[in-house]
Amino acid sequence: MNSLSDALAVATSGMDAQSARLRHVAENIANTDTPGYRRKLITFETEMLRRDAPAAVAPGPVRLDQTALEEIYAPGHPLADDTGHYDGSNVNLLVEIADAREASRSYEANLKMFEQVRQMSTALTDLLRR
Amino acid sequence: MQLNPSLAAERYAATRIATAPQPGAGAEARLGQAADSFAQTLRTSEETAMAAMTSGADPHALVLALTQTELAVETAVSVRNKVVEAYQEILRMPV
Repeated sequence: MNSLSDALAVATSGMDAQSARLRHVAENIANTDTPGYRRKLITFETEMLRRDAPAAVAPGPVRLDQTALEEIYAPGHPLADDTGHYDGSNVNLLVEIADAREASRSYEANLKMFEQVRQMSTALTDLLRR
Repeated sequence: MQLNPSLAAERYAATRIATAPQPGAGAEARLGQAADSFAQTLRTSEETAMAAMTSGADPHALVLALTQTELAVETAVSVRNKVVEAYQEILRMPV
């Protein structure tokens, strides 16, 4: 494995991680109205396959956001307690959209990196053609 | 001279695989390794492509494998062209 090939692999791991993040954002948004749903937080970890390997990124364990659930007042709701409240989800759509945008930008950065490495590699081979 | 059939068969089997890249020493070994790694890249790419089409494997892995194969094939073709060019240059040499 040469450096260019390693760089391709690292950029790919970045894209993989960002798409996993986007998946969790999609889950959170889809479950905005699910009672008792806690939003998922994704963590990233550095992944080294060999000792001298390049540091790739991998999605780490998923954690649940422990902030308080939203209390929704709806006396007629089947889940409502004596005071007429029930627990909604703690998903904030604004935060989720911002997170999705960030994932998208990071993905683009990795994509750009991939393209750059590929272009350099092709240019190197092109030297042999003339 | 007495011909030993088993020895002959052995020699024949040994000669048949002479065209396959085999680990040795020097430049041939490195060429053999390069051919091996090239074949390995192609094989990985094929497996990944098939997995992506049949069992929905990670598309990123597919793109990575295909790109690496593309670069490997480009390099191999360029080197091949260079070698053929050199060979033709020798052929054109006035004797």
